[in-house]
Amino acid sequence: MDDLTEMLKGTLEGCVLEIIGGEETYGYAITRRLNELGFADVVEGTVYTILLRLEKNGLVQVTRRPSGLGPPRKFYALNDAGRERLAAFWAKWEYVTSRIDKLREDGR
Amino acid sequence: MTFWETVTGSDITREWNAFEARAEALPTDHRTAWEEIKDHLSTYSDFTGRNLTPILDAALTLLEETAADGQGIHEVLGDDVKGFCAALAGGERSRDYRDRWREQLNRNVARKLGRLGG
Repeated sequence: MDDLTEMLKGTLEGCVLEIIGGEETYGYAITRRLNELGFADVVEGTVYTILLRLEKNGLVQVTRRPSGLGPPRKFYALNDAGRERLAAFWAKWEYVTSRIDKLREDGR
Repeated sequence: MTFWETVTGSDITREWNAFEARAEALPTDHRTAWEEIKDHLSTYSDFTGRNLTPILDAALTLLEETAADGQGIHEVLGDDVKGFCAALAGGERSRDYRDRWREQLNRNVARKLGRLGG
């Protein structure tokens, strides 16, 4: 599906939080996961800026680990604040999707 | 003198030279992207450009990591380098010098109008 970017904008942070919540991981792996899910337009730069923001807002715990090639990689795990934010994201998601579904059903 | 040099104080020149040395080691495509990123980010500079140092470091680190992974630059940045830079700099709400010009203009206009209105 093309041109999902606009629609995804508000939800991508939640998606990234969910992926990190599953297991400690790093930027490239997160991007690949999103691509596999079908969000082909998501590039690493986008994920990277989200990760920086999560870090700045104190929602993740960051560990630097040496990688085979290049500079040490940053691995991200959720801290308590991150888990709270993720729960809030899913609550908002439920609300929005239920309202939009209702709109569609009423229209039919 | 380039804009870059104008905003760069001598104390941070060393840091920025270190960035350039790191950028030298990047593959060509990534290096081209680096030039483009610097261009876009310069609009978010404060008077001295000191606020850019951590942002540039973040951008360069991403380029280094992805180059080491063997990722092509399009995989990394897509088509929207400008948007990437905006997000790096703290989003579209972050103040850049256009905002400051706008403010200055508004102030001047308000002052003139105030004078005319008596």
